[in-house]
Amino acid sequence: MGTTITAKQNSKAASAAVSAVNDRFSDAGIVAEVIAHSAGKKFEFVRITCAPAQWRALAKWLATEAGVNYCGMITGTHFPEGSSERGWEVAVHLYRWPIANVAPHTCTIHVGEKLTGDDIPIEYEVFIPIEKTESPSVPSVQDIWGGADWNEKETWDLVGIDFEGHVNMHRVLNPHDSPDEFHPLQRQHKIRYHDFNEMYDDPQGFGRKPVDEGRVK
Amino acid sequence: MAEMWITMGPQHPMTHGLWTLRVKVDGETVTDTEAELGYIHRGVEKICESRDFTQITPYCDRLCYVSAMTWAHSYIMAAEDLLEAEVPERAEYIRLMAAELQRLASHLMWLGAFGPDIGNLTLMTWCLRDREMFLDLLQELGGSRMHYNFPRVGGVKRDIPIGWADRLRAKIKLFEHRIDEYEMLLDESTIWLVRLQGVGYATAEDQLNEGVSGPNIRAAGINTDARWTNPYSVYDQVDWEPAVEKPTSVKGADCYDRYRVRMEEMRQSCRMILDAIEKIPGGSNTHYSPGDEMILTKAPTRAPEGATGTSTYECTRGVSQFYLQGGGDGRGKNPYRVSIRSPMFITIPYVAKTMIGYKVADIPAIMGSFDPCIGETDR
Repeated sequence: MGTTITAKQNSKAASAAVSAVNDRFSDAGIVAEVIAHSAGKKFEFVRITCAPAQWRALAKWLATEAGVNYCGMITGTHFPEGSSERGWEVAVHLYRWPIANVAPHTCTIHVGEKLTGDDIPIEYEVFIPIEKTESPSVPSVQDIWGGADWNEKETWDLVGIDFEGHVNMHRVLNPHDSPDEFHPLQRQHKIRYHDFNEMYDDPQGFGRKPVDEGRVK
Repeated sequence: MAEMWITMGPQHPMTHGLWTLRVKVDGETVTDTEAELGYIHRGVEKICESRDFTQITPYCDRLCYVSAMTWAHSYIMAAEDLLEAEVPERAEYIRLMAAELQRLASHLMWLGAFGPDIGNLTLMTWCLRDREMFLDLLQELGGSRMHYNFPRVGGVKRDIPIGWADRLRAKIKLFEHRIDEYEMLLDESTIWLVRLQGVGYATAEDQLNEGVSGPNIRAAGINTDARWTNPYSVYDQVDWEPAVEKPTSVKGADCYDRYRVRMEEMRQSCRMILDAIEKIPGGSNTHYSPGDEMILTKAPTRAPEGATGTSTYECTRGVSQFYLQGGGDGRGKNPYRVSIRSPMFITIPYVAKTMIGYKVADIPAIMGSFDPCIGETDR
């Protein structure tokens, strides 16, 4: 049989992780809850909602105290029609992955079923809602997890959310000479055809001029 | 000696795709590097916002042209999380076999491309010969050689054809011997060992912090594999164990370790497939027609506003993630936002850093050993 972790291990680790966050940060208005996936093995993970001002303190605590050693994905969304408190949102996906002795020759390889306590892998999802503003910004965690570096670059490049304190921020997917305010995943930018039918209904087909023709790209 | 910047790429055999590595050299020694990506950015995330959940699958196939099946599955898993769809067990077994066959094909493509980097041209022809066996099997499932559009929200497009199981067993058993042949060819080759051993060290802690995943990090002795840390499909029911290479140096894993871990991973994939075809519910020589409830369940097509779906999937190059947001009635059947995490997008800048201190001639060996794929990197 393949290595795995059981639903029991997962659920125990998820509730322990949630109560640790709530014990430490409930005064600061940070909310943590246990949520279960609806796909895969329907395992539980930790969802945290946190204000931008508290994000760095939370991240530091997660990395040093809660053993969160891996930054998976940082991404942002633009909600121009959302409420005034949630005009933008940054979603961060973090993992706690077990790491044992990796020294040469004596290295230990984990067996999933035998893991206990803080060694059980667990997934964290952090939502950071940002109020409606022209210049959204959250603190950077580049120095806490190196894996956040290019994720933050990409989020700024595509969505336009700035990361305060990020060193060496530059375009990564768009051309380097894109206009300063151009972030294509913001909602005011439309793609040429917003639906398949528009493409087929258009008598000029693919030859139609793009709406942003003449703009520097 | 005077230092200078040289530009390797966007057209360079080392890049395995379109990107640029700027290297600062002092004589033959690399003193600084800078990775430039984005040459084939297609805006997949933006396009997906105006497609419905089924139409997005082909775009995800095209994220990586050597590993289409795993990327499509990664997306489908996030869509199922968002739409709360159930998957029949037979479909899970078919998915597992499809993904592992793709892993074999992708690792063979990696080995085939890595050989010429090192100076072993024969390897390319051997690997492509064997990869063809698995592409044929996948073609029988998906209908095409590279982009299969195979998984559906709630199951798979088509059941395995009659006789597929026998062809699968024969090919996998043949291939298990072929892996031994590769090892005889490579592990006894002085050129192969001299170019790979002691080159491109990366420590486990560094790689974990920098967001490297998949075979690259398992080569350094950390057993992180999303197939068991974030369990999905039926990996807990088939016979396998994660391929982890124990490091032999305090400096972590070198290029040779990363080659070893992928060879072992191919063996484990073979083991998994052979076990899964025996255990598949409904029998391996049965064919259910498309849409049968054994392979596909009815799934919702609209996602409520505020709902989110994520997937953590072990792709061939590391952990891929999808993050979907539902848009409610205003968005029809389309998601509000699709966000993709590509393992190589994070890994390539890290690899560029690990080259510092090595010779310019080591760059192809170091880069190639991490298995770059630019299709998924630039999205």
